[in-house]
Amino acid sequence: MVPVTFFLALGAVLFCIGLYGVLTRRHLVVVLVCIELMLNSVNINLVAFSSIGPFANITGQVFSLFIFTVAAAEAAVGLAILIALYRNRESIDVIKQDIMRW
Amino acid sequence: MLSAFDANWSLMTPEIVLAVLAMIIFTIDFMTGIHGKKPFLGRLSIIALLVTAVLVIFVNPQGGTIGHIFILDPFSMIFKVILLVAVAIVIAISMYYVEKNEDIYQGEYYSIMLFATLGAMLMVSSADLITLFIGLEIVSISSYVLAGFKKHRKKSTEAAIKYVILGGAASAFILYGMSFLYGLTGTTSLYEIGAAIPGVYEQYPFMIMLSLLFMVVGFGFKISVAPFHMWAPDVYEGSPTSVTSFLTVVSKLAAFALVMRVLFIGFGGIIEEWAFIIAVIAALTMILGNLIALAQKNVKRLMAYSGIAQAGYLLVPIAAAFNINVSASTIAFYGVAYVLMVLGAFAVITFVTEESGNEDIASFSGLYKRSPYLALAMGVFLVSLAGLPATAGFIGKFYIFVGAVSGDMLWLAIIMIAMSIVSFYYYFGIIRQMFMREPKTSLDGQPAGTLKAPAGISTVVGVSLAGTIILGFFPGILINFFNSFNWMFMFF
Repeated sequence: MVPVTFFLALGAVLFCIGLYGVLTRRHLVVVLVCIELMLNSVNINLVAFSSIGPFANITGQVFSLFIFTVAAAEAAVGLAILIALYRNRESIDVIKQDIMRW
Repeated sequence: MLSAFDANWSLMTPEIVLAVLAMIIFTIDFMTGIHGKKPFLGRLSIIALLVTAVLVIFVNPQGGTIGHIFILDPFSMIFKVILLVAVAIVIAISMYYVEKNEDIYQGEYYSIMLFATLGAMLMVSSADLITLFIGLEIVSISSYVLAGFKKHRKKSTEAAIKYVILGGAASAFILYGMSFLYGLTGTTSLYEIGAAIPGVYEQYPFMIMLSLLFMVVGFGFKISVAPFHMWAPDVYEGSPTSVTSFLTVVSKLAAFALVMRVLFIGFGGIIEEWAFIIAVIAALTMILGNLIALAQKNVKRLMAYSGIAQAGYLLVPIAAAFNINVSASTIAFYGVAYVLMVLGAFAVITFVTEESGNEDIASFSGLYKRSPYLALAMGVFLVSLAGLPATAGFIGKFYIFVGAVSGDMLWLAIIMIAMSIVSFYYYFGIIRQMFMREPKTSLDGQPAGTLKAPAGISTVVGVSLAGTIILGFFPGILINFFNSFNWMFMFF
């Protein structure tokens, strides 16, 4: 059987890829996708713990269902704001959003 | 196992009533057409909030719990009342703001604000990682929408997109920490985690520290403490001014209540491991917030940095927590003072910036000549924020100071005093503009005329002024009341 640490490693790698994307990508849609990646790495952790963790029980899977829902709501709001931003600025390049600084 | 039918659902009466009223306001909004002025919805929202506050006080005052997931203890009840009153004041300010800004869809604005309040209520009374996260996200997602509410203004949409991206990343951090906490203890209930944590910490110290630090990063973002504060000035500057007051007060206080619950109950068994981390964050926050505020010219940005500094003061009792009840009543007292002085100041700021059409500190010049009442009230709020005697802010800071000294954190108390003195400089910058500068002349050479505040704004200013001064002279009323509670009474 695959030990739980493998799944945790996969989750950690996905979380780091997502964080790297959020910090470096210039295209805002890709940034939002990377945030989803970070949230889904949490789901992998929770489901792994919930099925083969030291205290395996169903709560982790319930938690990950809630995370799906919230992630969907967040993506919907994020994309709506993205469209409003695009209409105002004609660009969704991250580094051009610099009206306010310091 | 508890079935859904055994649970005492009457404990959730205030939440259910507020949800129903928010839905009703939402429905009335689309029945009356999307455009146009709807002051009646604003009044209805204030009534809904006050009714909910009364229900919180009178329904189930003895408290209770629904399966250790939703708990009603003195801590949650007091914070709910503070938050509900604060949102009612914010809506009174908003009613003036949306009158001035026709491009805001009024009904949606009020109902989203009520849903955010519902999330805040859920946050302060949840004792389970899942409900706690859901409450936090209800507040956050509503705040993203509110920040971008002036959708034709570049600043507002920019603030909203920055908030969504950084807020989403912070949520992911919180969840990543929570996933390890769940995995190592096998439960999401804070009480069970709190009971298991000393043993688990012996076994896996690094994993627990990892999960704690991830959660501190995420929560630190939500309460805007340094070094996770960089979103706050941008979002506060770009958002509509009434939304800025909401973010400064309501989101921040609710998140503070949440942080206290998680740290004291969930991680209470290993307090010596995190107290120093929190103390360092508090010190950094006070130093950075106050020093960067010195250079600010935009009044909303100044208030954002001032809010960061205040978050630092509020973290001190958590770091120096030798006694949960003392810490909780200190934070609740400073919370009440904070609500009064910040919302009073924001009422004046909203009025002045909307009347003059710019957000520069210079827009306050000669306010004493134009409206003596507003200028004097704003002076009191700023003096209270700076922490000078005879105001609520002074008493609050004094208790935090005493708590820090008796919690063996003298260095933190000294940093707090030093930084309060620094803060005098930028608060007095606004006071200097109001009292010692002549009113600016308009383009055609006419001096700016007197300002007449509308009824809503002057009521808010009057209530906040009275509260700030009364709590400054007779703090005993509230402090004796708060000290009589066992804040996080556990139901088992």
